Amino acid sequence: MAPQSSDIDIDELQEVLHERKKRKSLPFVWIVPLVAAIIGGWLVVKGILEKGPTITIRFTSAEGLEAGKTKVKYKNVDVGEVKHISVTKDLLGVVATVEMVKATEPYLLEDTQFWIVRPRIAGGQVSGLGTLFSGSYIGSDPGKSTTKRRDFVGLEVPPIITTGMAGHHFVLHAETLGSLEVGSPVFFRQEEVGSIVAHEINKDGQGVTFRIFVNAPYDQYVNANSQFWNASGIDVTMDASGIRVDTESLVSILIGGVAFETFPGVGPRSSAAEAQEFTLFKNRNEAMKRPDPVSLPAVVIFDQSLRGLTVGAPVEFRGIAIGEVKAINMEYDLPENKPSFPVTIAIYPFRLQALLGGHVEVANDPEVRRVRWDGLIARGLRAQLRTGSLLTGQIFVAFDFFPNAPAAQIDWTRNPPALPTVPGLLEEVQQSVVNIVHKIDKMPLEKIGIDLRQSLETLNRTLTSTDKLVKGFDSEVTPSVKATLKDARKTLQSADQALTADSPLMYETRDLIRELNKTALSLRELTDYLDRHPEALIRGKKRGGQ
Amino acid sequence: MSSSPHHSTRLNFPSLIACHDCDLLQRRVLLHAGEVARCRRCGAALYRNLPNSIDRALAYTLAALVLILIANAYPIVGLEVSGNRQMASLYGTLHALWVEGREEVALLVGVTTMVTPIIQIVLMLYVLIPLRLNRMAQGTIPVLRFLSTVSPWSMMEVFLLGILVALVKLEHLAHVETGTAMWAFAALIPVLIAAGRVFNPDEIWEKVRALS
Amino acid sequence: MSRPVVTAAQLGLYSCHTCNLVTQAKRGHREVVCPRCGHHLHMRKPDSIARAWAFLLAGYILYIPANVMPIMHTSSLFGAQSDTIMSGVIYLWHSGSWHLALIVFIASILVPSAKLLGMTFLLISVQRRSLWDPLQRTRMYRIIEQVGRWSMLDIFVVAILVALVQLQSLATIRAGFGAVAFGAVVVLTMFAAMEFDPKLIWDPQGGRNGSSIVGH
Repeated sequence: MAPQSSDIDIDELQEVLHERKKRKSLPFVWIVPLVAAIIGGWLVVKGILEKGPTITIRFTSAEGLEAGKTKVKYKNVDVGEVKHISVTKDLLGVVATVEMVKATEPYLLEDTQFWIVRPRIAGGQVSGLGTLFSGSYIGSDPGKSTTKRRDFVGLEVPPIITTGMAGHHFVLHAETLGSLEVGSPVFFRQEEVGSIVAHEINKDGQGVTFRIFVNAPYDQYVNANSQFWNASGIDVTMDASGIRVDTESLVSILIGGVAFETFPGVGPRSSAAEAQEFTLFKNRNEAMKRPDPVSLPAVVIFDQSLRGLTVGAPVEFRGIAIGEVKAINMEYDLPENKPSFPVTIAIYPFRLQALLGGHVEVANDPEVRRVRWDGLIARGLRAQLRTGSLLTGQIFVAFDFFPNAPAAQIDWTRNPPALPTVPGLLEEVQQSVVNIVHKIDKMPLEKIGIDLRQSLETLNRTLTSTDKLVKGFDSEVTPSVKATLKDARKTLQSADQALTADSPLMYETRDLIRELNKTALSLRELTDYLDRHPEALIRGKKRGGQ
Repeated sequence: MSSSPHHSTRLNFPSLIACHDCDLLQRRVLLHAGEVARCRRCGAALYRNLPNSIDRALAYTLAALVLILIANAYPIVGLEVSGNRQMASLYGTLHALWVEGREEVALLVGVTTMVTPIIQIVLMLYVLIPLRLNRMAQGTIPVLRFLSTVSPWSMMEVFLLGILVALVKLEHLAHVETGTAMWAFAALIPVLIAAGRVFNPDEIWEKVRALS
Repeated sequence: MSRPVVTAAQLGLYSCHTCNLVTQAKRGHREVVCPRCGHHLHMRKPDSIARAWAFLLAGYILYIPANVMPIMHTSSLFGAQSDTIMSGVIYLWHSGSWHLALIVFIASILVPSAKLLGMTFLLISVQRRSLWDPLQRTRMYRIIEQVGRWSMLDIFVVAILVALVQLQSLATIRAGFGAVAFGAVVVLTMFAAMEFDPKLIWDPQGGRNGSSIVGH
């Protein structure tokens, strides 16, 4: 192209503007990546060093678990996180791969436990509600064994935590579960001091064994003399002493509970050892009956109705329980054709001890015992059936001294020995009443009554008539009336005499009444006649037909 | 130098430069160290002279590499409410958005905060390391082109501010913790900017020209 | 004597926007590539105005749902709540963090609208070949380009909140459709700015059209 006037020469063009920029350049720019690399390396190393052990836990369901999110907690502190969840090969469960914090390393032992904490409302326990907000987590409890472990089987139910808690475990034996369950509280003096940790049916199928935990410092109150009983629900007992309603607490009404009390006794006073075994009684009464290590079996034979006597009814002496009825039997005495009822009882001599004077030791030697008892019987100690409660009709066995009782002996040949009895009080009263009734029956009360009535009626009429007559007599007084009156008086006098005589009153009275009757009758006739024939007063009685 | 069969240029004017903002034709001038050439008409920065730009760019880029790895490996922030802890890493954030159905937002956030910076760093290293060793990596030129196209899509500083705003919003709700990644991001931003600054295309083109 | 003010285009020269090499092209219709870096050469960005308009309009359209539809759904124990960008700003304002409210307002409401309006203005000015202060307009363009990315702020805030507040029953945050729309607006305006060729601002200025360059 040929140069034109409008062509522009390059050199004419402007130059770019150049500015000096004051830029501080990093003297050793390589520091920057170096520092970054150091920090990065340190983070990586820290991560590796801090990396805790990885464990697997097997659960039946992964409900509530989320990989990368669900935490493992111990006492509410995060100690691990679920990294991965997968189904087991046999399709029966899930396996959670958990990365634990480094500090947990020494605690992942054979008996370390894991469980999922979800909201639970079950038998007396409402727990884990916080997880409604925060999501479920896995609870943990370190074990005490010495073997390390990395694969675990998770529990389905949160256990009662006892690790690290001060206190003692004890073992209780009972016949039935009795509405108790894991978590049910243990009471002492109505205060909750522990709980049931576990229970299972005995291997031989006879009974249930509980494992309870009593917190410190209450565990020191448990010793060999302690009795445990099932304090569930409301205890209503109807026995010879009446009706009783017993309950431990509102909680125990709902969810059951176990209570214990320590009785002064002969056992060692020291606190019970860990896992000491006790019996769990059905109720407080049962438990209270036990502190007698020695019981003497005996038999008392009655021949009256035992209706209202139950096994377990108390045996009392003047109101103090000294034993209880163990069994009720019947015997038929063929030769005499009479049934008799031997009642087997158990006497606790410790309680009798007080009666014998307190300073008398309970005899262990059977001979001494025999002598003692014989002595008591000789003094009149007898067994008797008494009514405990008229309401319930319950009766019990009572011992007392009956000075008038016929002599009797203890039949030591029987086993258990038979103690002599006397008929029950009620029986006697019954008998007397029956006798009186019979006697009253025999009296000719009716006849006497009728006679008496008649006489009294007649007398009444007589007196009325006499009244009239006397009024009439005011104007006319006749010697016959007088005479009659005299006669009457005489008769009365002789009646009087008759009355004071020593003759049987009844006959005399009867005679008298007869006489009176006659007299009254005559008088009546007379007055009748006079009424009809007042002229007879003057003229006298007309002879012949009136 | 070489003419490809596709074009029909006759003349190159390497001593001239046309402003990229106003197209004014100007003569290039040799710059002293640390100087920047600007358009006479509109003031746009045209080219610089940064000594050791390759070295420095490389240094910053390597640092950026470490930092971005940290920033992605660790959680950025954590929230704690009544015992419940939630930590958010960058990937976790994207995942949360994705699974909830907002894939587009997840994509957008992912591209601007994770994908682009990583691509930038990786590609810069790809170019710079050979250059430092006086060699030229395969496809350096298209890579450089791509880098300049993609740079506006790296928005980590906006992301960081966004995190801060979110934290302040949540602060009265719950206990907020900053994670390691937060600091990595905070450091990454100036480092990347510095790397971009000293990544002097002109010098690189010079080198490229010398080598090709 | 003043130096000639001439653009490369006026002299028929190409400037490679990758390697800045100024080259001259034969008048032809064939595709031109840069001898140095092989990139396609254009005098101006191809279809700059048309494409920029397209993106801008799309941005306008999506701007409405971006602000009207909620960008965030919060469900907590106290109930569920949906927030749009504006309600989020108001909430921040009322809850005391007015500085944050300001930041979010600027980033999420002011900036996007400014971008839309600014780009509209630039495009119209270029289309009408306005001679109005090209330097100012170029500055405006630079600002739009640089600042545009900051309107992504609210999207990042929502993203972090969604990732963090996953506390099951206590509180959960989900991103709403408004977030998608808003993200689209940001992207579209960014593309619009990228497509716009700022050199077009200066083209109407007088110069030496048609001249050619000589010398070496």
